[in-house]
Amino acid sequence: MTRVVVTGIGLITPVGNDTATTWDALVAGRSGIGPITHFDTAAYECPIAGEVRDFDPTDFVDAKILRRLDRSSVFALAGAQQAIADAGLDMTHENAKRVGVVLGTGMGGAQMIVEQNEVLEDKGPRRVSPFMTSHMLPDTPTGLIAIAIGARGPNFGISAACATGGATTGEAAEIIRSGRADVMITGGFEAPLTPIYYAGFHAMKALAVADDPTKAVRPFDANRSGFILGEGAGIMVLESLEHAQARGARIYAEWLGAASTNDAYDMVAAAEDGHGVADAMREAMSEAGIGPADLDYINAHGTGTALNDRVETHAIREVFMEDADRLMVSSTKSMIGHMMGAAGAVEAAITALVCHHGVVPPTINYETPDPDCDLDYVPNEARVSPVRRAMSTSVGLGGHNSAIIFGKWNGA
Amino acid sequence: MADERRVVVTGVGLLTAVGTGREATWQALLAGTNGIRPITLIDPSDLPAKVAGEVQGFDPSVAIERKEARRMDRFTQLAVVASGEALEQSGLDVAAEADEIGCMIGAGIGGMSTLEEEFKVLFEKGPSRVSPFLVPMFIADMAAGQTSIRYGLRGPNFNTMSACASGADALGTALEVIKRGDAIAMVAGGAEASVTRMSVAAFAASRALSRNEDAETASRPFDLNRDGFVLGEGAGILVIEEREHAIARGATILAEFASYGQSADAFHVTQPSENGEGAARAMNMALRKAGIVAADVDYINAHGTSTPMNDKFETMSIKNVFGEAAYTIPVSSTKSMVGHTLGAAGGVEAAVTVLSLRDQKIHGTFHLVTPDPDCDLDFVTEGARTLPLEYAMSNSLGFGGHNSSLVFKRAE
Repeated sequence: MTRVVVTGIGLITPVGNDTATTWDALVAGRSGIGPITHFDTAAYECPIAGEVRDFDPTDFVDAKILRRLDRSSVFALAGAQQAIADAGLDMTHENAKRVGVVLGTGMGGAQMIVEQNEVLEDKGPRRVSPFMTSHMLPDTPTGLIAIAIGARGPNFGISAACATGGATTGEAAEIIRSGRADVMITGGFEAPLTPIYYAGFHAMKALAVADDPTKAVRPFDANRSGFILGEGAGIMVLESLEHAQARGARIYAEWLGAASTNDAYDMVAAAEDGHGVADAMREAMSEAGIGPADLDYINAHGTGTALNDRVETHAIREVFMEDADRLMVSSTKSMIGHMMGAAGAVEAAITALVCHHGVVPPTINYETPDPDCDLDYVPNEARVSPVRRAMSTSVGLGGHNSAIIFGKWNGA
Repeated sequence: MADERRVVVTGVGLLTAVGTGREATWQALLAGTNGIRPITLIDPSDLPAKVAGEVQGFDPSVAIERKEARRMDRFTQLAVVASGEALEQSGLDVAAEADEIGCMIGAGIGGMSTLEEEFKVLFEKGPSRVSPFLVPMFIADMAAGQTSIRYGLRGPNFNTMSACASGADALGTALEVIKRGDAIAMVAGGAEASVTRMSVAAFAASRALSRNEDAETASRPFDLNRDGFVLGEGAGILVIEEREHAIARGATILAEFASYGQSADAFHVTQPSENGEGAARAMNMALRKAGIVAADVDYINAHGTSTPMNDKFETMSIKNVFGEAAYTIPVSSTKSMVGHTLGAAGGVEAAVTVLSLRDQKIHGTFHLVTPDPDCDLDFVTEGARTLPLEYAMSNSLGFGGHNSSLVFKRAE
């Protein structure tokens, strides 16, 4: 069986515009949540979000192309560029047919649809941009990245709502394992901070409310009140172990297994017993060939909603039984918010970094224990602890669940 | 070894402009029925295109409760209903094996009309009036999510997006999921509700759409006077299943799903790469994985959109792969009758290819009156043909440079 490793990571998040800055902020327990500046928020009760700040798209994308791109695509391109540089991947020496791109997003370039809709309504159909159809598609960045670097292997987008990133990363690894590519650029991207989506999420009454934005997301805390939207991208370079070793690449972690399931229950709410996410965790462990005792850390979906955190805790208890008390479980959404289709990918990358550094980022804003949420959530302070294997879990609207497992790379 | 698993098709569901249902669509295609008609779902008076392939008399209540249907975009309703038809034909006992049956339904965009409507609400009435169902209705994974909820499919579940190749990639990915042992059966294909004001305006702006207002000649793949594609809507869903499993339960096998090939042009967002080499690589990969050579293929269901570029480059790519044999293999375009159903097209055309193998009959390319010297293959212009078919290929090519090729084999 072909082994798969992580050799490059690019992160654009509300706490940093590159991997190192993001990682340092997460370990320091810094929140990236603040007032929304992207649009007029006068009509909203508590307009806060995890915005990517001080981000200059021209650092990554040619100004001429930039005009055609949705913000979400820019995040994807920037993250991919960082991940490829981080991996030291030199496409001039690569067999281009053996390098593919699979990225995920919840909504893709939908802001572009909204803007062009305004053009359509105000100025008529003949004024709609000729770049609209080719550049608002959820898979637009996979094509753009392939074009930018000449990656001619498998190329498509995946969507599974908030579980997108996990499903995408898992599928990319399977493409390498089944021999369809040697290297996959994979991950997720999202830019949901636009009036129409914000209004949609606001109407769902799932967003947290707080006086201090940095204290708004309180996963697993008794006083949690919901999630907060975040934006950005998380991109990884995955490659076969053989390929990575042949080119002397630095290895962050080994990809050990992944699974995707559906609750088949409700399009918004998770099933109360957590069977879907529990199944995903079990199947991923079975694929990785490990049991509950072999895992040390879970980067939880931990959105900060009353239902999610309770259901997820229940599922972890059910799967890990007596090992549940030993596990470290943290929610990095407490700092970066919920990046939707990018969340699972960003969190998978963080999970790989946890294995690499032997440091676990905390769940911040954890003050009041909830009897229904009784695991070790690594409250408020990062913890230095060797991690043998770690799992990232995601749960999405539509009942999607995913789990992905990484192992510390020990050189063999 | 997982690669040894064979996969067969045991159910087909179809909703297209020529028929609401599998057999209705298939018989209409064999009869050479034109499904392109004046647009009725929206007011096209100020739009640059006036005709489309709309599903006639679609009634979601055959499979979805009225209250639930209101919370689904039309593309999701099409997916759920077509999946129901496919599942019914397969005779699968879903409840008995729910965890082992997954769902992957590709869509190019998602709930575009929902977004357009809610955008109007936001604009005219303010953010507090935006529907709480906007997000779960718009996101493209909802076809797969809602289908799994409606039928209780608890296995691997997400959506693949690769523009006009989305449906084919969903099927290909589902095939790989069964081959690697992550599911025993998958409900997979594509769905799209593309007849919206924005879609028409935007595809026209990108100059991909036919400006021909005559429904009888607008969609004419491979004809010298073709001037773009005609939007179509619909869904094409297959139930695919591990072969031994299908045999053990005495299922009727419609065809074998032999292989899936995928590639990226890495060339241009909307234009095909030189000589159609990207599409050729996808076809070659599919042939190799099916363990056959070009001469073994008895029929190609082409992407054949009716745009000047696609049909010319697709013809080149077929010659590139099949050499001299290209001139003797019948090639037809379903889009000549149902229009271009975008993310659904790969699903619809895979379904048609399966029915071709089942009945040993192929449908013709409609509206091809004036031959184009650049498109000089056997396009089956005389109408349906009966012939021995062992292997048949279905090709899909998408904006962004995505290419997918599926190979099916006559049931043994």
